[in-house]
Amino acid sequence: MIKLQDIRDTARDMLAKGEARAVIGYRRGSRGMLAEPAFLTRPEEADELVWDPTCFHNLSLYLVHDRKHLAHARKTAGAPVAVIAKGCDARSIVVLLQEHYFQREDVYIIGVSCEGTGVVDERKLAGHLNGAQAISAAFDGDDFVFTTAEGEKRLPAREVMADRCLECCSPFPKEHNLAFGEDKTGRQLEAPFAALDRFEAQGAGERWDNWARHFDRCIRCFACRSVCPMCYCDECVVDSITFPVTTATTAEEKASRIRWIERSAARSENITYLMTRAMHLAGRCTDCGECDRACPVNVPIRLLNNKMEKEAREQFGFEPGASIGGPSLVASFLDNDPGNFIR
Amino acid sequence: MSEQQDYEPRVVAFLCKWCSSAGSDLAGVSRIQYPANATPITVPCTGAISPMYILSAFNKGADGVLVSGCHIGDCHYLEGNYLARRKMYLIMKLLEFIGVEQNRFRMSWVSAAEGAKFAQVITDFVGDLQQLGPQDKLKRAENK
Amino acid sequence: MEKILDKKRLGDWVDALADYEVLAPAWEEDAWGYQPVNGPIRLDHPNTKQSPKRLAFPQREVFFTFEQIKGEAPRLTQTLPEAPRHAVFGVRPCDGRGVPRMDQVFNDYVEDVYYNTRRKNVAYVGLACNKPPNANCFCLSVGGSPVSTDGLDVQMTDLGDRYFVKAVTETGKALMTAAAGVFAEPSAADKKQLKDMHAAAVAYPQRAVNDPDGAPAKLKANFKSPLWDELARACIGCGICTFLCPTCHCFDINDEVQSKAPLKGQRVRTWDNCQFPDFTMHSSGHNPREGTGARLRQRVSHKFQYFHENFGMHQCTGCGRCITECPVGIDIIHVVNKVAANAA
Repeated sequence: MIKLQDIRDTARDMLAKGEARAVIGYRRGSRGMLAEPAFLTRPEEADELVWDPTCFHNLSLYLVHDRKHLAHARKTAGAPVAVIAKGCDARSIVVLLQEHYFQREDVYIIGVSCEGTGVVDERKLAGHLNGAQAISAAFDGDDFVFTTAEGEKRLPAREVMADRCLECCSPFPKEHNLAFGEDKTGRQLEAPFAALDRFEAQGAGERWDNWARHFDRCIRCFACRSVCPMCYCDECVVDSITFPVTTATTAEEKASRIRWIERSAARSENITYLMTRAMHLAGRCTDCGECDRACPVNVPIRLLNNKMEKEAREQFGFEPGASIGGPSLVASFLDNDPGNFIR
Repeated sequence: MSEQQDYEPRVVAFLCKWCSSAGSDLAGVSRIQYPANATPITVPCTGAISPMYILSAFNKGADGVLVSGCHIGDCHYLEGNYLARRKMYLIMKLLEFIGVEQNRFRMSWVSAAEGAKFAQVITDFVGDLQQLGPQDKLKRAENK
Repeated sequence: MEKILDKKRLGDWVDALADYEVLAPAWEEDAWGYQPVNGPIRLDHPNTKQSPKRLAFPQREVFFTFEQIKGEAPRLTQTLPEAPRHAVFGVRPCDGRGVPRMDQVFNDYVEDVYYNTRRKNVAYVGLACNKPPNANCFCLSVGGSPVSTDGLDVQMTDLGDRYFVKAVTETGKALMTAAAGVFAEPSAADKKQLKDMHAAAVAYPQRAVNDPDGAPAKLKANFKSPLWDELARACIGCGICTFLCPTCHCFDINDEVQSKAPLKGQRVRTWDNCQFPDFTMHSSGHNPREGTGARLRQRVSHKFQYFHENFGMHQCTGCGRCITECPVGIDIIHVVNKVAANAA
């Protein structure tokens, strides 16, 4: 069991000694029970930090923001940024390090183990609360404890945990400077890829019917892309600006620029966008599940990424975010990669 | 499928300039008969093919997409086709996953000397696509 | 026109509206959304995930098609929407209040024929909120009310086993007259209950913007405040807040080319969003709203300052969607209060 005071003390200490430029963690938001990202720069702010089952966010996203901000301002990093990272978040940081997005010494990883549980799934929780609004959430062993206007409600975590957490076998941040909580690597609450396997058990026709419905719903708000630490491209293929414009660029060149995906939220364009994203995340997605959670229309985006993760594991023996020095999935190969699909 | 007798599938074929593209030329100069349904797009190496190209071809109305390059070990850039093998495997699986018919995407190794094989690959592919009928899953609606 | 509708007869009313495509909130894919009615409807939804704005302002609208044969003049063909007549049930008062705000925007200076063509074919059948359906409701502090009829054609109020149904506009009257037989006359007791219900609804505690009337001046004074960057630190720059908003109306116009020879395509309007990094990107590469702070300021100031300066009312209707759905907890109530409390 993690003692929140330990996290707060660490943050306070680091900021007081100037060992970190900032501490990125979680604090209580202004709307109900949900935590929100917190950016601390003064030691006295450390007591704002919280650690509970609503700490969904993959905060490595803000390391990416920070790096972009520094590059834009033409500043150098200086002291590292300390960041609170769960198992999946720490793997994201490893991928960013693999890709040399920033250097290891630029980040101080305060690892937090999810131990036997994980984060709550708001949709599952709503089903258990019958309309009541939870005001707070807390870890308690294998349970989550929620407070509502009607009193305290204790639920087994497994019933309201996010699918990705149920399927997660590595809830401990292997890459860390400091870690809190018990290392329960190897735990198994549900089989890995359980949700994916359930979906894949359908025939091709059913799978298409389901995906067609999901793709039709997408409103192209790009929350999935925006919330993803791996979607750090300065220019994304779906943006209206997808090629560099200089003073020498002619109107003709602007007019005939390649438009891979139209802006219209039509099924064909939504498919091309979401599939391109899944390909771009193959071998990089660490299943933090933020795209899936952020989606306002509940497109099961995670399944696409899971499919790539599963193929990578089974066919290429590849684990995303396993080690900083490791290869990238699509920029490496093995002699015995499957090839019997090629005629 | 009598009403589909007249249906001519449109194939976008990404061909490596060092082998399959030359293989298609050889098929031509050897006067081998094969269906004229493929629009060839020559690429410097199969390793240079972004999965985006495959998706985009379907998006713009292709009924089938073919990727063809050098046999393993023969890559002009030594390892481009190894990389392509991984990437194309992944995009193939992803297409299959969302329910696109498996036979709409094909990959083959065709060397510059294999004109007959190239003709066979196209013939087989077009035959399979004829069975499937038009592709409208990934196609832009207004182009239908 | 004021009537009483037995809840069991709601379906009969809907059935009588044969001239309309009737929409009502339905639970689908773990969310409430407006769906065409086929079968029984129950108006027990909190609020829909997406606002009903897309009925008059769809995410994609084709303006015209174009075609040019080489050497000839281009031919343009305008494509006015052929919108069916919609009757949409279960519209909450905040979303109702979004309608006149959208009308204002699309008819100020230029009358938008596409918007107006769709708009005149939509009838909004509202459902008053007996208590706030969402923890982030704040209609009262933006001049609205859980029993507001603004923008609605009909207002329904849930009285337990029956609805009190009131026509607000001529369109609303026509909707009710189409099924005159299903309604009963309200008794004095019904009217008393309605009055009590409405009074209770307005008295129900809500979250609040502290000083909505003072907000425009406070926001203006804080235009250059560093507070914006601080409040937008967590912002990821996605489009959830604006796309779900009942009054956000920004759009982009693109040519979607279908073929190059002969040149053929469509000019299309799609929703756009001030939170996207490329919304204000100039072709030079310069971006006047580079950071999330400047973009958050734009959204909040548009709702609580610019619109107020232009039209004398807050654009925000207090539905709370942008708060509830934000993946990182950006809270417009908190932002306005915080900025307003800041001594510029």
